[in-house]
Amino acid sequence: MPELRLRINGEDHKADVAPQVSLLDVLREHLWLTGTKKGCDQGACGACTVLVDGRRIVSCLALAVQYEGREITTIEGVDHPLQEAFVRHDGLQCGYCTPGQICSAIGMLSEHAAGAPSAATEALAPEALTPAEIRERMSGNICRCGAYNGIAEAIQEVAS
Amino acid sequence: MDFLRPSTWDEALAAKAAHPDAVPIAGGTDVMVELNFDRRRPPALLDLTRVAPLTEWGTDGDLLRVGAGVSYRRIIEELGSRLPGLAMASRTVGSPQIRNRGTVGGNLGSASPAGDAHPPLLAAGALVELASVRGVRRVPVDGFFRGPKRSVLEPDELIAGFLVRPGGAQQFAKVGTRNAMVIAVCSFALSLSLETRSVGTGIGSAAPTPLRATEAEEFLSRELDWEARGPVPPSVAQRFGELVAAAASPIDDVRGTAAYRSHALSVLARRTLAWAWKGFREVGP
Amino acid sequence: MTTHAKTPVDPAPSVPVGGAVGRPVDRRDGHAKVTGAARFSAEHHYPDLTYATMVHATIARGTITAIDTAAAVAVPGVVAVLTHLNAPRIRPVRKGNIVRDLGPSVSGTEVNYLNTDQVFWDGQPIAVVVAQTSVAANEAAPLVTVTYREQQARVDFAAEQHNATPAKGDLTFAGTKKKGDAEAALATAQVSVDLRYTTPGLQHNTIEPHATIAVWSGDHLTVHDTTQSTDASHKYLAWRFGVPAAQVRVRAEFVGGAFGGKFAVWPGTVIAAMAAKAVGRPVRLALSRKAVSRAAGGRTASTNRIALGATRDGRLTALIQDSITHVGSVGGLLEATSSPARHLYGAKNMLTRQNLVEMDLLPNTWLRAPGEAIGSFVLESAMDELAYELAMDPIDLRMRNEPATDPTSGKKFSQRMLREAFEAGAERFGWADRNPSPRSMRDGEWLVGMGAATAYHPVLRLVADVKVRLSNDGTALVQCGFHEMGMAAATVQAQIAADALGIAYEKVRVEYGDSDLPPGPMAGNSNQTATVATSVLAACAELTRKVTALARKTGTTGQEPAATLRAAHTPFLEASVGSTSRLGSLRSQGRFLATFLKDQRWSKAARGAQFCEVRVNADTGELRISRWLGMFDVGHIINPKTAASQLRGSIVMGIGMAMSEQTLVDPRNGRTMSAGLDSYYLPVHADIPPIDVAWLNEPDKSMPLGIIGLGEVGMTGVAAAIANAVYHATGRRIRDLPISLDKTL
Repeated sequence: MPELRLRINGEDHKADVAPQVSLLDVLREHLWLTGTKKGCDQGACGACTVLVDGRRIVSCLALAVQYEGREITTIEGVDHPLQEAFVRHDGLQCGYCTPGQICSAIGMLSEHAAGAPSAATEALAPEALTPAEIRERMSGNICRCGAYNGIAEAIQEVAS
Repeated sequence: MDFLRPSTWDEALAAKAAHPDAVPIAGGTDVMVELNFDRRRPPALLDLTRVAPLTEWGTDGDLLRVGAGVSYRRIIEELGSRLPGLAMASRTVGSPQIRNRGTVGGNLGSASPAGDAHPPLLAAGALVELASVRGVRRVPVDGFFRGPKRSVLEPDELIAGFLVRPGGAQQFAKVGTRNAMVIAVCSFALSLSLETRSVGTGIGSAAPTPLRATEAEEFLSRELDWEARGPVPPSVAQRFGELVAAAASPIDDVRGTAAYRSHALSVLARRTLAWAWKGFREVGP
Repeated sequence: MTTHAKTPVDPAPSVPVGGAVGRPVDRRDGHAKVTGAARFSAEHHYPDLTYATMVHATIARGTITAIDTAAAVAVPGVVAVLTHLNAPRIRPVRKGNIVRDLGPSVSGTEVNYLNTDQVFWDGQPIAVVVAQTSVAANEAAPLVTVTYREQQARVDFAAEQHNATPAKGDLTFAGTKKKGDAEAALATAQVSVDLRYTTPGLQHNTIEPHATIAVWSGDHLTVHDTTQSTDASHKYLAWRFGVPAAQVRVRAEFVGGAFGGKFAVWPGTVIAAMAAKAVGRPVRLALSRKAVSRAAGGRTASTNRIALGATRDGRLTALIQDSITHVGSVGGLLEATSSPARHLYGAKNMLTRQNLVEMDLLPNTWLRAPGEAIGSFVLESAMDELAYELAMDPIDLRMRNEPATDPTSGKKFSQRMLREAFEAGAERFGWADRNPSPRSMRDGEWLVGMGAATAYHPVLRLVADVKVRLSNDGTALVQCGFHEMGMAAATVQAQIAADALGIAYEKVRVEYGDSDLPPGPMAGNSNQTATVATSVLAACAELTRKVTALARKTGTTGQEPAATLRAAHTPFLEASVGSTSRLGSLRSQGRFLATFLKDQRWSKAARGAQFCEVRVNADTGELRISRWLGMFDVGHIINPKTAASQLRGSIVMGIGMAMSEQTLVDPRNGRTMSAGLDSYYLPVHADIPPIDVAWLNEPDKSMPLGIIGLGEVGMTGVAAAIANAVYHATGRRIRDLPISLDKTL
């Protein structure tokens, strides 16, 4: 088994894993970085969202070997005003989807800042981050507890 | 399970020739679902992410050539003005996280009847470029799909990219159960070219394969007032919608009935026509 | 009245002494959850941990005649493959009385997993692979080949309805309730409706899938489990494995959503503990999303006849509800779909009947507001239909039938402010702007509709043991094995204890989620907050008496409690409610019965008025929720921030039930087809508008601090409010959930 070398939260990590192992399983089961959650293992819930070179991806649908040499950020490496905003606005209940929500929101804010449009964007260039834009852009992260309102309020506060 | 990691296109083709049962993987957003859910245990995986040319796009004569490994995100951000229909469809693929990784090449490879990229490629008359150690062939996308999750791709072939003529007015619309993260109940793409006075269509999730509504295309190209770009008579829009719906062969399933799909397709056809023609009238070709 | 269009944020930097209750303090475990520090059940690290994957039956009913594990065993890294032929023999499931003896009867099913060759549903776990890595376990599991002798199976609910038989019910819920002659009253009613509503099966789909880590040390067992019933679960495991309860510890500090789906002990827990015993190493069994849908039960489907008769001026003369739901052949729950019909409106003649069909499917279980979620859709839709028959405002119709006492039992209400909830809600929502005619309000291509419905959920109080320690450094420790699945349970109990002890909120530490603590109640039926508060208040009162006595002795009366302890050279004082000794357990049962009987003197419930505005696309039928208001009568609120979240979250789940969620079962073979989140549609962020929640904040005087549990009431009435709004928007009545696109056109 080839040795896998990953750079996560600014540190180098090694793991001996089979090539078909997902980045999510390497994080949780080999490196015990368990802040990244497994919800569906099919890219349908967003609980496993991490940032790679600043972009959000679902780590369950990513082969770990494809991410050698990339800068991976998991919730353990996040230090962002969104975190306290989530607590203040109660944008969480059970907390299981929360790390994914926060990583996703960080990626989303930089996508929006870079001018990327969403399916809710009518104008050619996206304008302010409206509530409708936040809801659309955060729809890859399911919260079964239904903390969506608090999540949107927290993001809105940090964005403005 | 073997894991093959070519770093050049030639190596990739050689690997596929040597391991025709290897499953190509790029963004992984389709293949990994099958791996994780144990639906499929392929003997080998062929990782294409190191093959740089797959992630490039550029011109090829008067066509735009897009590598199979270009992500939906890049299509939205970099090709939004050249391929507006495909970019619109790309905005609705899965979630933003999926769009950051998923590729049109992967969508074609899976050949799902519900693939969001297929209708705009059909409407734009795209060519799919297939390659193997035997050579390269370009297949019109409406001849690419063979059935649900089946295509003309040979076991030793890889999808290199697709080619499409940029320009014209393009639109895409889809309906689904939710407001986002939608698997299409049905979808429709329309492309109008003032230059060639032609109409292109693409239907998704309403037949065993994505398909064109050729009769509707011919009807509309005859009836539109290309010269003066005058308004589309309601009867023409109505008939166009009917012909689009007639081209589909939907079934009842958990996301919607066949009758609903036919109805919704005619609505989407009329809507996209109104949007596209309005764009022409306001902006010009 | 308190209203919250947005999340209430605490204005003050710190909580004043004596002012914790009623304050919107942040949830205490928020920081751990937003930093990834919170460890959920599958996330505890043991150096020699092994990974397990279950093998599921692929027939709905029959006998395993052969099971070949050779190919699975041969996969590198596989440690063991356990089947009914070689798994450890453990005690069979014991049937118990749910009230007297919660422990043994907490089993989700009666199946003795891996100790039987019988298969009772498609998806039943029949083997488990244990390996060094999850990759090896997942690779090996599909290689186990099984031969069956199949029997005829009953898997199609629609086709089995003729086999329904009247349900017996139990102590808390009778299968049939009659008052007067409802059929005769219906036949002679001036105005009537007689309708049929159906609801599909539903799945919890907590984002955290069920998971267990089981660790044996000699004959001591520690289990990290996704459970909302640590006490019942540890007693259950002790019984099954034949060890004293004190030697089994079940831990669940963080639970990633439960909603009733993690109450019963599902196969993963038992099989993980069996496997750990067999291989002599810790075992982690984390179910895949698909495995959860195949091995842990959800909500039953239902078919309901409801008939209402009324006088022309809208007084109910007849109310009939006849429901058919299903259970498994090896377990399941009578879903009390008639519950709202029995307690909401003052009909003179009533007949409510529950009927059950036994099916060869995964047994159903509790899912948020079991009974009321379905029942309120049925009753509140029918009330709306009757209002249209009467040409009467649907809220007026409800108010005309407000009963003075409980319509079934005749008991007094401990608290009932439904009228006030509707009045305040209608005002706030702008109900008066509604043109009552269907299809009369439009915004471009969108048809606009407004709907309302009553929310209802009964109150249940169980029993909790609690220990409170007050230390001379000014801190307090509250210990109780209750559960935190997102309700901010520890936060709320800390608020209560701080005020009861007269110390600062920040000084109170709370320990929970562990069966080694004084046993708490299971978290369900919206009981936990009031149940635990009852004991916390009692323990704090006793502690306060002790402190007062000590203060008198040391001349420190009037000073803070810690000063008294210091003056008396006492490091700490403790007070307990309940004990786990044999006598203590008996007394706990006595306390439970006393509380239960006391509560039985009243008709007690959480209630509310749900209002929504929907938009239905006139061309495509797409349904969007554009506005929501829930105005609730839920007693005294301890924490407005987390209460608002609970109510909103419930409403979101109700929106899912109304619009998109359904368990799909293949009628040919009983296989769950909606076994992933790509086929079971949960509401996404873009589906949910800002949800306005409000409460009357009137304490229920029969409850501790006036608390009424509110974890489930928010889900009730939601589907009806939406269906009623869809009717108002489109003129189409949707009587079969979910309200998919094709039904609204």
